[in-house]
Amino acid sequence: MCEVLPRRLRIAATAETASLVVLLTNLATVHVPSIADVLGPVHGSCYLVVIALSWQLPAPARVRALSLVPAIGGLLVLRAWRRPVAGDR
Amino acid sequence: MAAFLLSVHVVAAVVFVGSVTVAVSLFPRYARLALDRTTAATAVPVVHLLHRITGVYAVLALAVPVFGLAVAAQLDVLGDAWVQVSMALTVLAGALLAGAVLPGQRRLLQAVGAGSGEQLGGAAVVTARGQRVDAAALLRRLGMVSGVFNLVWVAVVVLMIVRPGSTTGV
Repeated sequence: MCEVLPRRLRIAATAETASLVVLLTNLATVHVPSIADVLGPVHGSCYLVVIALSWQLPAPARVRALSLVPAIGGLLVLRAWRRPVAGDR
Repeated sequence: MAAFLLSVHVVAAVVFVGSVTVAVSLFPRYARLALDRTTAATAVPVVHLLHRITGVYAVLALAVPVFGLAVAAQLDVLGDAWVQVSMALTVLAGALLAGAVLPGQRRLLQAVGAGSGEQLGGAAVVTARGQRVDAAALLRRLGMVSGVFNLVWVAVVVLMIVRPGSTTGV
């Protein structure tokens, strides 16, 4: 479980940030409403999945709470979670 | 676009919530077998798989209310009573799953791991509050909570189909 979870979290965190980047790019440039319609819920789902996955990590509450940060929460959790592990090695 | 979002919402509900309800209702039955010495060998891998399915698909099922909200917003029915009651029931189901079903499954898995070789009732688990609880009592409680969880989903599905007071044709 400890091996699969960070990989899943990385996928969800990347999707969370990437979908928002596409949404904002769409808003700033061509502004196709259907892109917003589809990617909006995708981004919302990724946000919640990142929170749910982060909560299962064996990490301090402070690290897990970073998942609540919009847009880049998942990436922040992964960065904060990796740091002490890297230091142990 | 509402039709597309609605399709995603329904497919996600069937596949993800459906899997969770099946795994949740089968878990207590196989946990009982896993706690019994004579059937433990075949049932222990099953309860681990059922717990895994419950946890993984529950996370994926988060897409269902999100896409549901998007559909409701597009159809302009967010203010309708049937939508709001469904949302409240969904929150209740999520709270039951995260607060009672999954922790109950985890505790029973501990009992299965610790009490292997003992008869049902011999295995005990230490709860978060430090009390030792009989595995059979945990099992009964989990069975009840799992049933309630599935009933809540039945209520939501019926609300989604009947939509009392709705005039939309979708």
